[in-house]
Amino acid sequence: MSDNGSPLTITVRIQRFNPDVDRKPYLQDFKVTWQQGMTILDALHTIKAEQDGSLTFRRSCRHAICGSCAMNINGRNMLVCEQPIKAHLNRKNEITIRPLPYLPIIKDLVVDRTTFWAQYMRVKPWLIPPENVPEKEFRMSPEEVAALQDAEHCIMCGACYSACTVVGTTKEYIGPHALLKAFLRVMDVRDSAPGERLAEIAGSDGVYRCHTIFNCIDACPKHLNPTKAIETLRKLAQKRLAFEAARAERQKHLDKPVTSG
Amino acid sequence: MSNPSVITHDVIVVGAGLAGTWAAMIAGEQGVDVGVISKVHPLRSHSGAAQGGIAAALGNVRPVPNTGPDGPLEQVPPDAEPYDSWELHMFDTIKGSDWLGDQDAIEIMVKDAIEIVYEYEHMGCVFSRTPDGRVAQRRFGGHSTPRACYSADWTGHVLLHTIHEQALKHGVRFYSEWYALDVIVEDNVCKGIVALDILTGQVVLMRAKAVMFATGGYGRAWKITSNALANTGDGVAIAYNAGVPLMDMEFVQFHPTGVYGHGILLSEACRGEGGYLLNSKGERFMERYAPGKMELAPRDLVSRSEQTEIDEGRGVGPDKQGIWLDLRHLGREKILERLPQVREIALNFSGVDVIDELAPIQPTAHYSMGGIPATVDGQVIADAQSTPVVGLYAAGECACISVHGANRLGTNSLLDASVFGRRAGYAMAAFVKGGARLQPVESDVVARNEARLARLMSDAPAGQGESWSRIAAELKSTMTDNAGIFRDDARLRQALSDIRRLQERFQGVRIMDHSRRFNTDLLGALETEHLLTFSEVVVVSALARTESRGAHYRTDYAKRDDEHWLKHTMAHKSPDGPVLSFKDVNINWEKYPPQERKY
Repeated sequence: MSDNGSPLTITVRIQRFNPDVDRKPYLQDFKVTWQQGMTILDALHTIKAEQDGSLTFRRSCRHAICGSCAMNINGRNMLVCEQPIKAHLNRKNEITIRPLPYLPIIKDLVVDRTTFWAQYMRVKPWLIPPENVPEKEFRMSPEEVAALQDAEHCIMCGACYSACTVVGTTKEYIGPHALLKAFLRVMDVRDSAPGERLAEIAGSDGVYRCHTIFNCIDACPKHLNPTKAIETLRKLAQKRLAFEAARAERQKHLDKPVTSG
Repeated sequence: MSNPSVITHDVIVVGAGLAGTWAAMIAGEQGVDVGVISKVHPLRSHSGAAQGGIAAALGNVRPVPNTGPDGPLEQVPPDAEPYDSWELHMFDTIKGSDWLGDQDAIEIMVKDAIEIVYEYEHMGCVFSRTPDGRVAQRRFGGHSTPRACYSADWTGHVLLHTIHEQALKHGVRFYSEWYALDVIVEDNVCKGIVALDILTGQVVLMRAKAVMFATGGYGRAWKITSNALANTGDGVAIAYNAGVPLMDMEFVQFHPTGVYGHGILLSEACRGEGGYLLNSKGERFMERYAPGKMELAPRDLVSRSEQTEIDEGRGVGPDKQGIWLDLRHLGREKILERLPQVREIALNFSGVDVIDELAPIQPTAHYSMGGIPATVDGQVIADAQSTPVVGLYAAGECACISVHGANRLGTNSLLDASVFGRRAGYAMAAFVKGGARLQPVESDVVARNEARLARLMSDAPAGQGESWSRIAAELKSTMTDNAGIFRDDARLRQALSDIRRLQERFQGVRIMDHSRRFNTDLLGALETEHLLTFSEVVVVSALARTESRGAHYRTDYAKRDDEHWLKHTMAHKSPDGPVLSFKDVNINWEKYPPQERKY
């Protein structure tokens, strides 16, 4: 119901494009009756079920953990599953949904993430543990864990990547998502190759390519801060040898109890 | 270029959650050529949504001495007596399973648990820690010690990313956004699968020496569910259609704390950290149902207790179908540190801040204990005599290795998927290296699947052309009303006749999208067909089981009946519907004989 009690009809303007039949993307309007609690994803489902089954989008968990449904809403990237549609309507009760920018369109709201995943692979996202693995766990202090938690919570939805104006101009740039993953590994006291990692990301496509425009922070649905991680990596890259030596020293004690500060 | 519509690997894994990715990673590490198909990108798999923890008797944490079993927790001092053991974990799991779990399999799971958590840790999983740097542990329902290893309330996410990274490191080939249509099983030998490349719409024959199903759960047959939209039981339905039986399908767990109206999970860690449940009168009603364990009783029991409160008029919310979850007394700091995702979900989907408000919740379809029957090495079996289906493996939620029996304990599912995914990986590698060969595929399986798609995509004849979404919605209604937390003969018969009517109507389903490229309309129709397939098995199995055990509760047979029902249900497909046979539960009568299940 709208404020005056009558059912509220909203206009969902969706960018459509099937490269097999369309010459270029176009906007199509759908009318939907708003229901209490309706998310943007709910509206897309309603349209697909009742009006046009060919409307194409990705989704899975519907509670902001799987990372499937990042799209561009009224010019901003977000996960549509967790967003109440009402919060995004303009005065005419319209909302505009587009695919993530800067990426090739596969169909409608589905984009091709090939470069996104290629950059992720480039930072070798897996841990490279030291040779002496203890029988039980590596000991890490709660503080050492806390330093990683933000980066660990990245769901790889791509909202940051496709909001980054540098990515918009060059796909050679490693990108905020992969640099955040690199940060996770560099900062992990169990990783024994922080020097190599810092060397890889300190090239011209890496941390120095970031223009510190903060679009990634603005776009991140998990409230993470890739810019800050990139800045930390820049600083560490400059004192790479000292950092490597400190890591080697720390790794001598990874099987010993830590004392928590 | 070779013919692109046939792809060959030593091993093909269907599904890239924890079970599938573990198997692929291990087989890859063993030098076997592995391909993994997943209908979503592997990192979108629903394992990543698990929140609370993974169980392992590490014994790192205990209640402070002299504060009783519910007292505050501390790290176990280095010189103290061990506080936990795999034997305790085993007993808790057997009791939780209501003695329907196979005890040989449970023993393997709880023993491997310790090793697998350390393995995750060595691979880079960021676990929450004790002050001295060990893996932290917390309480969970039905476990008698703080045994859940966790990473705040993001445990599944962290494990999934860790294992996916390892699989990439070992050169596993992922086919992202490919959908399994069929599995080729002839004379009890598996020869490969037929899959749809979602991007191009091409139907592809994928031949392999070994095939593994790790396709996850199937809660999407119910209206309110914690499951992802992708959890439509494709794997179990495909296996069943190929002649593989399904085991214990009547056991579907309802989780006590789904977000009211949505079903999205608020982790059991809420209760593990000390959260309460309240009815509309503000009573902590669990004291009536499980005075010894209160909110930390197992899920089947807590869900039934909630539903009883609701049915007796003490529910909350606009239509009185909810219950309150109270976390306020935990305090801001603990909530932000241990339950950050829970807070975010409650904010987004209920509009409440659990730091100072009550969260409305309700029971939600959550976990499927039944599935494709498999041995402890993931070997799929064809009948109650355990005849193997050569070359076919299964693990994770789509499988029934029967470690959960009639009811799964929280944190045992990440464990099950990891332990048995890994074991299946080793078993498949040994099978391939032991001289397994590609089998000739003689059947017209590709043409048959092309025809299936063509029918759905053809223009509707007059009077036909129903939408799959309406059929799916009606199925969910009847499953919720008639095959939910409480069941009886009349309701289950209603569900069965509804399902059969919907199966007939499905023959008239036509989709609106006629393009090959990324056709999610087509996927929706195929998924709906799968929902209809396994739901019939759930209901027929539930009708046959004239007792109440674990998550299967019959109001017309309210007692557990060990004399007749200490056995697994096996359902085989036939032209007249599921045909049932039964298989004895593996019980160690000396050590763990059935006893009354009291909490």
